[in-house]
Amino acid sequence: MRFVLAAVACLAAPIAVQAQTPDGMAAWSRIYAVASHPRCTNCHVGSSGRPAWDDLGYGRNRLHGMNIVADASRIGAESIPCRACHISAAGENAVPHSAPQIDDAWRLPPVELAWRGKSSAEVCTQLRDPETNDGFDLVGLIDHVRTSAFVNYGFKPGAGRNSAPGSVASLAQDLQTWGDAGMPCEEG
Amino acid sequence: MKLNVNGSPHDVDVEDDMPLLWVLRDELGIKGVKYGCGIAQCGACTVHVDGVAVRSCQLAAGDVDGDITTIEGLGTPDALHAVQAAWIEHQVAQCGYCQSGQIMQAASLLDLNATPTDDQIDQAMSGNLCRCGTYPRIRAAVKTAATKLQGA
Repeated sequence: MRFVLAAVACLAAPIAVQAQTPDGMAAWSRIYAVASHPRCTNCHVGSSGRPAWDDLGYGRNRLHGMNIVADASRIGAESIPCRACHISAAGENAVPHSAPQIDDAWRLPPVELAWRGKSSAEVCTQLRDPETNDGFDLVGLIDHVRTSAFVNYGFKPGAGRNSAPGSVASLAQDLQTWGDAGMPCEEG
Repeated sequence: MKLNVNGSPHDVDVEDDMPLLWVLRDELGIKGVKYGCGIAQCGACTVHVDGVAVRSCQLAAGDVDGDITTIEGLGTPDALHAVQAAWIEHQVAQCGYCQSGQIMQAASLLDLNATPTDDQIDQAMSGNLCRCGTYPRIRAAVKTAATKLQGA
């Protein structure tokens, strides 16, 4: 209920100004550039539970090697847990092709947050609704971006890995701008 | 640094960032665990930390947060783990280099999922490479071990 109220509070007032928010749309475009980057979409996959290795030097539409399936648990508990290779401790990630590690338990995001192959309108609609964004209001989203080891990793993935565009700070600022503008989305 | 390996406490004088694999092999002389690739691509260095499979080439000694089990601690010649017994029954090993990692991975799988499907066995074992190509026998042995453990 808390999230529903937050959603109403976030969404009710700004909808009327949605069409007059070029700054908000520009901010969203930058947010989507991050959300659609392979550094993010490789794990933001749907119910298949199959992480990807897009743009890691093997081309597009390349699924994670070793037949990895994180499955319904989203951590691979049914077969091989992500943590078998991805250590849950901060690391330099200085060796190309090794398994990246961060100070968090490696896992896939919730199915509702599937971004791989999704359009700007689809991701935008999903991300502004606490029912489909893992329960975050705007403040929560920005706090998540600022504090998540996963998000931080996306911008500093280590040796030999391309990073998402921008920075944690710029993404947080763009979320604030987008939120202040009423979380506008492109027409689907 | 204190580590518990195969039920025995050890005090080792190593840098925090030394891979657990080196600690086990070079400091403690536990040689069942093998070096293959050093980048978590082959599975030869698989051990257990609190019963869960981990690539010991990736885990820094300072980040170890549980009891370590290597192939030497999984079973004994007189009391084999069900996976080890199945390995002998199916005569899985050829050169044997990858086999301790394979067995540790399989034992971890069956501990987490006592009734794996064929697909789940393949998924779990796909991170462990075998250049001899013993995969069909590995799959058969894991299924035999699963059946035996379910009846235990």
